[in-house]
Amino acid sequence: MEKMKLMVVDDEERFLSTTKKLLSRKGVEAITATSGSEALEKLRAHNIHVVILDVKMPGMDGIATLKEIKRLFPLVEVIMLTGHATVESAVEGLKSGATDYLMKPTDIKELIERAEEAFEKRQRLEEKIRVAQTRLFMKSPREIIRETE
Amino acid sequence: MKQNPYGAMRRLILACMILVPVIPFIFILGIGYYYFTTSLETSTISSMEKIVEDHRQMIDSFLRERKANLEFVIQSYSFESLTEPMNLRNVLDRLQKQSNAFLDLGVFNEEGLHVAYQGPYKLAGINYSRQEWFKEVLKKGYFISDIFLGFRRSPHFIIALTKEEEGEKWMIRATIDTYMFNDLVKKVRIGKTGEAYILNEKGIFQTERRSGGNIMDSELDNINYYPLQEGMATFIRKDVKGIEYLSAATWLKEKKWLLIVRQEKSDAFRALHSATYLIVLITIVGGAAIIGVAFYLTNRIVRRMERMDAQKEELSDQLIRASRLAELGEMAAGFAHEINNPLQIMKSEQALIETILGDLKEEGKLKESKDLSELEDSVNQIKMQTDRCAEITQAILKFGRKGEPASKDVDLRNFIPAVTQMVAKKASVHGITLRQEISSDTPPIHADPSQLQQVLINLLNNAIDATLSKHGSEGGEIVVVAGPEDDGKVTISVSDNGCGISPDNLKKVFTPFFTTKPVGKGTGLGLSVCYGIIENMGGVMRVSSEMGMGTTFTIHLAASI
Repeated sequence: MEKMKLMVVDDEERFLSTTKKLLSRKGVEAITATSGSEALEKLRAHNIHVVILDVKMPGMDGIATLKEIKRLFPLVEVIMLTGHATVESAVEGLKSGATDYLMKPTDIKELIERAEEAFEKRQRLEEKIRVAQTRLFMKSPREIIRETE
Repeated sequence: MKQNPYGAMRRLILACMILVPVIPFIFILGIGYYYFTTSLETSTISSMEKIVEDHRQMIDSFLRERKANLEFVIQSYSFESLTEPMNLRNVLDRLQKQSNAFLDLGVFNEEGLHVAYQGPYKLAGINYSRQEWFKEVLKKGYFISDIFLGFRRSPHFIIALTKEEEGEKWMIRATIDTYMFNDLVKKVRIGKTGEAYILNEKGIFQTERRSGGNIMDSELDNINYYPLQEGMATFIRKDVKGIEYLSAATWLKEKKWLLIVRQEKSDAFRALHSATYLIVLITIVGGAAIIGVAFYLTNRIVRRMERMDAQKEELSDQLIRASRLAELGEMAAGFAHEINNPLQIMKSEQALIETILGDLKEEGKLKESKDLSELEDSVNQIKMQTDRCAEITQAILKFGRKGEPASKDVDLRNFIPAVTQMVAKKASVHGITLRQEISSDTPPIHADPSQLQQVLINLLNNAIDATLSKHGSEGGEIVVVAGPEDDGKVTISVSDNGCGISPDNLKKVFTPFFTTKPVGKGTGLGLSVCYGIIENMGGVMRVSSEMGMGTTFTIHLAASI
């Protein structure tokens, strides 16, 4: 089975490094980004399944980053990390395509649980895509060959 | 000391209220009084003058008639025939038939000898040549005397006429009944004190005066009537007794006598006095009414102003409180949000420490020891305190939360039991009886259900805490009551029989961060959040409590229909 690849985006570097250590100790592979644009760059370079994204960041904020991620990498699952206890910011995130939201300060266990849920969702989605593509292949292998070319 | 700001305004309003009606009121009364008294005086004086004039004419005509009677006698008879006692008697009888004022009749020759006499006195044969009247008659032909005593030593006055017959002068004389004349003059009656009398040129009474003054006495009032030549004079003077009289005087035409009619001034102007009393009464009553009404209205106006100002002040206080609360909320929210980031790091660090410790123990690099368990305890404590901080920031963020509530019609008859159900377990665990008295005619209200739920749960949790601290795990009772009000409102109340709230604390229960709970058990935001929610819904939240007896929180909300 494929292993989950996680990216944590936050402007607090210490939070990133500690979380990365924690995650690796829990057996979760994670990379980090300190800003929205860095996150987008790293998404291009790596195959990342789930992004934990802080809502409030300098420069490109969480919601804008989320929209960009969803536009460029629609299959990436995004979990919003919000400092606001308000439902509003979470709702806005969910409307823009986020899978879930977490409230600061969040527990590492909860973070992993939610990330895994999102990962499973993504895997189910990928499975469906694979099945659909297989059906297409069964129907007209030639067309698939043409497409791949 | 602060001066009453309404004092000056009250005085101003009062002054205006009194002066504005009082000035025209006084003017009208004054002018009315002036014209009324003037016209009354004029009419009183002119009626007095009329009386004097009538009376003068009557007295004048009396004297003229008596003179004419005698004129007729002297022309009709000769000296010879009149000196006959029988004839003289007949003549007197006839005269007395004409007027009973004739008392006697006498005939005199040129030497002044009383030749013949008819009457009650024995006067025949007396020589009158030295008498004043006799000289006057010889000179003028006729004479009306002043009242005098004469030979008979009794006050009387006479009318005498002379005639020349064959070179010899003779005369007749008649005495006029003083009492009759007196009555004639006196019979004028005006009011209570009106009287008439006659004075001669020297100020001697010729007739009696009712208010005092006998015939032939001098008038002592020292009133100088005599510059008066003709016509009439009216004046108001004081007599010797100090009584003021309205007097009118005129000279008789037949005799140099002064006829005076007078009346006490207070009597003459009686109507004037009644009018004056009436005006004074009206002034007092009207003035009192004006002042009374002015005081009443001023009090009402000032009280109303005070009430309005107080309301205004209250309103602005509320506004200030509300805006302060909003500012505080915003500040607290910003603060809590910023705190959440370091809290997140702290939490991560703690989790890392915990994980590393766990790993080390697993790998056998750390042996179980007292130090290790203390370290673990300490790490746990860090976790607990971080969680506590997180709870506080969550509460603050809820308090400072803005945004539109999702309002809809809420049927309290279903809603309240559902909410109460959420705490029912907790209540029963602590042995608290939870009762609901929800009136079946409770109308629905328009509110955000999640907010309303938050408020009710908060109140119920507080009630549970309060009963627990008083009764322990037995005997607590919480009652939730809901029902319609008369004014289209709905009342929801949550009452407990718990420890109650002291009056000092009661004032502060809705203040943010005010709590009586032990450290770490409450943020002091619950009730202030509830208060804000209910206020946002356009409702009112109140609290009443008695130490040791229990507390009741009441919510008034507008019904949606």
